[in-house]
Amino acid sequence: MYRIFIILATFISLVPQAWCQSDTTVTLAGEPYVYTKWESFTRESTHGGLINDHIFWLEADGDSLWIGTEGGLVLYENGTWKSWTEKDGLPWNVVMGIAKDPKTGDLWLALFGEGIARFSGGYFEHFTQVNSGLLNDVVYGVDIQGDNVWVATTAGISRYNQVSGEWTVFNEKYAPMKEVWTYNVDAAEDKVYFAVWGGGILEWDVATESWKVYLDPDGQMEIDLYRDDGLVHDITTAASYIDGVLWAATYFGLSRYDGRNWRGYMDHDSGLPSNFINLVAGRSKNSAYNCTDKGLGVLVDYETDTWVAYQRDTEDAKTWTAHVMVGKQEIKTVPTNLHLPNHFTTSVEFMGDDVWIGTGHGLARGIGKGYYTGLRDKSPTFGVSRSSASQNNNFRKK
Amino acid sequence: MKWYSTLRLLAIIILTLVTGWPLFGQIAQERIYVGEKACRTCHHLAGRRDQFNPWRLSKHAKAYAALSKPEAKQIAELSGVDVDPYKSPICLGCHTTAYNVEAWERDESFHFEDGVQCELCHGPGSAYMDAKVMLNRKKARQAGLKMPVERDCMVCHKEKGSHMAVLDVKKFNYKEGLEEIAHPGNGDLTKEFLFQVQRILSKWFPKNEPPVKPLPGPKYVGAQVCGKCHGQTSAGHQYSKWRYSKHAQAYAILNTERAAKIAREMGVSGTPQKSDKCLKCHTTGAGEPAGRFTDSFDPDQGVQCESCHGPGSEYMTESVMLDPVASVESGLRDVDKKSCVKCHTEGIHGHTLDFETMWPRIDHSKWQQKYSEVKYKSPFNLAVTKDGKRLFVACEASNSLIVVSTKTEKILAEVKIGTQPHFVYFSPDETRAYVSNRGSDNVSVIDTKTYRVLETITVGDEPHEMATNKEGTILYVANAGTYDVSVVDIEKGEEIKRLAASRGPWGMARSPDGRYIYVTNNLPRLGEFRTPPMSEVTVIETNRSIVKHRYTVPGANLIQGIDIAPSGKFALVTLIRTKNLVPMTRNIQGWIMTNGIGILWQDGRVDQLLLDEVNDFFADPTDVVFSKYGRYAFVSGGGVQEIAMIDIKKMKRILTNATEEKRNKVLPNHLSLSTEYILKRIKVGQSPRGMAVSPDNKYLYVADGLDDAISVIDIKKRARVNVIDLGGPKKITQARYGERIFHSAEYTFARQFSCHSCHPDGGVDGITYDIEPDGLGFNPVDNRTLRGVNDTAPFKWTGKNPTLRRQCGPRLAAFFTRIDPFTSEQSEALERYIVTIPRPPNRNQKSQGLTPAQRRGKRIFEREYDNSGNQMPQEKRCIYCHRPPYYTDRELADVGTASWLDTHATFDVPHLKNIYATAPYLHDGRAKSLEEIWTIYNPTDTHGQTNDLTKDQLNDLIEYLKIL
Repeated sequence: MYRIFIILATFISLVPQAWCQSDTTVTLAGEPYVYTKWESFTRESTHGGLINDHIFWLEADGDSLWIGTEGGLVLYENGTWKSWTEKDGLPWNVVMGIAKDPKTGDLWLALFGEGIARFSGGYFEHFTQVNSGLLNDVVYGVDIQGDNVWVATTAGISRYNQVSGEWTVFNEKYAPMKEVWTYNVDAAEDKVYFAVWGGGILEWDVATESWKVYLDPDGQMEIDLYRDDGLVHDITTAASYIDGVLWAATYFGLSRYDGRNWRGYMDHDSGLPSNFINLVAGRSKNSAYNCTDKGLGVLVDYETDTWVAYQRDTEDAKTWTAHVMVGKQEIKTVPTNLHLPNHFTTSVEFMGDDVWIGTGHGLARGIGKGYYTGLRDKSPTFGVSRSSASQNNNFRKK
Repeated sequence: MKWYSTLRLLAIIILTLVTGWPLFGQIAQERIYVGEKACRTCHHLAGRRDQFNPWRLSKHAKAYAALSKPEAKQIAELSGVDVDPYKSPICLGCHTTAYNVEAWERDESFHFEDGVQCELCHGPGSAYMDAKVMLNRKKARQAGLKMPVERDCMVCHKEKGSHMAVLDVKKFNYKEGLEEIAHPGNGDLTKEFLFQVQRILSKWFPKNEPPVKPLPGPKYVGAQVCGKCHGQTSAGHQYSKWRYSKHAQAYAILNTERAAKIAREMGVSGTPQKSDKCLKCHTTGAGEPAGRFTDSFDPDQGVQCESCHGPGSEYMTESVMLDPVASVESGLRDVDKKSCVKCHTEGIHGHTLDFETMWPRIDHSKWQQKYSEVKYKSPFNLAVTKDGKRLFVACEASNSLIVVSTKTEKILAEVKIGTQPHFVYFSPDETRAYVSNRGSDNVSVIDTKTYRVLETITVGDEPHEMATNKEGTILYVANAGTYDVSVVDIEKGEEIKRLAASRGPWGMARSPDGRYIYVTNNLPRLGEFRTPPMSEVTVIETNRSIVKHRYTVPGANLIQGIDIAPSGKFALVTLIRTKNLVPMTRNIQGWIMTNGIGILWQDGRVDQLLLDEVNDFFADPTDVVFSKYGRYAFVSGGGVQEIAMIDIKKMKRILTNATEEKRNKVLPNHLSLSTEYILKRIKVGQSPRGMAVSPDNKYLYVADGLDDAISVIDIKKRARVNVIDLGGPKKITQARYGERIFHSAEYTFARQFSCHSCHPDGGVDGITYDIEPDGLGFNPVDNRTLRGVNDTAPFKWTGKNPTLRRQCGPRLAAFFTRIDPFTSEQSEALERYIVTIPRPPNRNQKSQGLTPAQRRGKRIFEREYDNSGNQMPQEKRCIYCHRPPYYTDRELADVGTASWLDTHATFDVPHLKNIYATAPYLHDGRAKSLEEIWTIYNPTDTHGQTNDLTKDQLNDLIEYLKIL
């Protein structure tokens, strides 16, 4: 009976899409900004300056960039590279996450398998599950909220108060976690969000010191029954909170939540290059950058569902191509000079108008000369039939 | 399908019962302390079941009241307790019951004033007090009833130095003690007994009987009610004085054989406690109708306040009591001889009251008089105004800031500020003086014209030195207790952030260009086992208030003083180079401690030079200042009563002429070079500390900490030319004499070190030492704090020394100081000082009570069952060895931590008071954090059963340990 219900529901949900595909055409409501000029960096191209090509995290620090790699910590500053490995006192080479404390200027490092470290004044202080209250040494992410350092670990969440020295544990006993494997943390002034692998998104309210959990309402692992009913999937990988909007990345698509309504995105109905999202970084309440296994998917404008997807179109492509899309519908392609050999994107960071991306093989900086947010009011008409599953009414229907 | 589902359900139930049953068992019922009155219900019965009377006549029942005696204050001081004894958790731990539990764990019927009650020994009674449970011994034990054994009693009754010194009590004899408090009564469960219980219960909880109707007029409220206002907080401690008197025992004493004999002689038949004739004078309100008593009244309390002062219901309110007329009109009676002779009739029981003698004995208006304390000034640091006319001196012992005229040498003002003022610093415009109070964790802001305290800013724990940015908008404060630096917005008067320093941030100086603040760290970084100390100087960038750099100073510790050369090219810090990896017996070769300075260059380089001479060391360098133009630097030698005057040019020449290898390896340990750059060692007063150079560059002012004076040194003459008296007491007490010995290196071979060198401020230097002459590296021991240790004997990790006097006796001279041992007078004085070193308050204890994690941790600390529901052997429980109030049983224990370097397997169980502040841990200091004690060094549960704990449970346990 239950199976019949699922099949029926799936069928019903697909009917309108099929109907929409019939004769709808879409145009761009405006021109999105496309990063065409990039600086690409690999270990080889930097002559070892970038000590490792496996990029895990990017953290802007003014005009400088901290880079967490599989082989150590790297600082790109004024065109030069500086790195720290275990030989230099870095407690562990695999730097999965970096957070700069805006108050103290200290850098906090998530060390995959070896806890966390505070990098302050050129000195590393190491905190592990053995020498401190840290819950587990397998750390995926770290972020700062006020005096607290929040740590996402494989066994749950740890919070370290830098003033009181107190460690607090949040796991299945002390937080609404049906799973504890915490992949990512994003802290804002009023909220702290955690992506819990199989446990949805956890929200910590700073003022009330209380938890709220967001789960996929349909509870299905294979499909998302109702797209906008909530989180698209419980297996979340990242969260990003900006302008009061939560962006949640999963291995099955992207979710956006404005505090009232959810919106789901998948590769079959949006400009996402893939549903397999490693990280999402919100740039505004209308824009999010998604690091997927098949390139960078940028939702440029939420209202018009306008995307730019950066990827290598073929296995032997020398450079990446930007695909301008409305929903799933490609409107145009724009060549770029981004020439990293791998478009398995893992990390993204904004530096003024520029954007940095990290991949499985090197990192690149998109030069944001003339960058603008949203869409520019210049709209050459593209007579393209609408074929995506987009339901947004802001599209100009012809 | 149905049968399958049913079977599955059954399987689940069976599995739950089988595997889950023990888990249910471990969920202990919350146990509440119900107080002696609840116990009395069944244990104050005629015949063999009367434990109340013997208890009430025992010292246990008066134990709390004893804390108000003048002697208690003296004992507290000798225990490092610097609060009133009746407020101290340590004193309360043995003088009352259930002090270390939360308020909700005490029933309303429970009163601290009842002293050592039944439940201190037998455990909280709520779960076993029910007669049905109590009559089944097994059930009662399961519900928490404890039957104490000798080690339980010895937690409190083991000899304590403080008590021996003041009370001159003889050593506690367990058997004799047991006889003294004997309260037998485990009589057979006879029908007669059960009938009595039933009768009493029915009296307490009458069925279908109308409640007693209160009668009009004044009613008796009972001594407990009077005690609420006339208890410990009042000047007279009337309640405690009464409780300590025979009046409070007047009812209980009727149960003695002597009372029975007297009663028989007076023609009383039956038990005196039931006789109206006896009760008339042995209790309060005897013979009055029931409606004349409020519910709070307890007749078993003996002759209470209202026997003499009249029933109190009408005058008990504060407003009436404070009005002499109204209180009398409301029934408060004045008491005179006539009141007494009503009962104390001539020849009663063979005695006639000698009123003149007896009256002072029960006088409860002025029991606890504060004995006279000699309060010294103990100047620690000072600052001189830009015009050179005034000195501002932070005085640690008098909790004050003293302002002195440099011209007239008169004290212009003495301002009372926080606790233990440490450092004084002027705002750039000199309108404000900031004083750090290391005992009260704040900074006092003082108007430099009016000397008024304008505001008090809360900062981190144990604030020491301070500095502002050049503009004077931000104040940086080195918090030695929290290992960080407070960044204070001066205009807002509040801390805006904390920056992580290293360990024990102490000194502070701003670079001449204002760009950087340098912070010294008193304690070395936590290093690997048996490695030399590595210390840090932290550099803060003032522009963004962030940590910019961390200098590592190898081989050094106790880096305290700092100043930056006027050129800004380098900074000087004071330091000690402790050779902790070789046996301390090597001090003749200068292998224990050498004393010197560190030179921190702008490019990050660190040099070190010694201030010692081969046969005359410069112990405890404390502060350093440059002369106005940087030609000289002055270092105060806290242990040698001298100031070293350094010629900077010569000092630099020695460094620049040396090869790289020599600079790194030879110069830091070179004992023969100091005469080349030290121009003179200038004699000053006792324990010189902070210094300041006059703006005209003519004088150096030195705070002579234990002389209550300021030495004035003429820089040109290189000699002390004057001494400014700060007005401290001229009498040198034994403790003060001991304090001087403690801080002086005169008692060490070649003046190499003082007690203070290893125990700064009576605490720890964070270093593991190789003390014994048993070979290189054998029996390494972690340094232990002296703060409040007197009553935690035995001493040493091996527990060899039963007293501090022995600890500091001839053996110390033989192995440590290598000089004549202390004379008996010196030894006594030193001990007297050490025992009075106060234990700082535990900063993790919050007034709002335990956090959820701490509450969970406490349960783990006290748990009887492991995570599988199995009852743990007693010796595997934390609380078995770490018993409150000191959290030690003061015994030796083998917890499996002995290494191949140790010749003993058993070690003294350390007390856990303020344990959070004394890293590293274990006898040899190998555990760098509390966590490591169990995550690394307890693999087989030899140090308590902990391997069943989850990580979050271990965290909870540690959160609890941090508040002990």
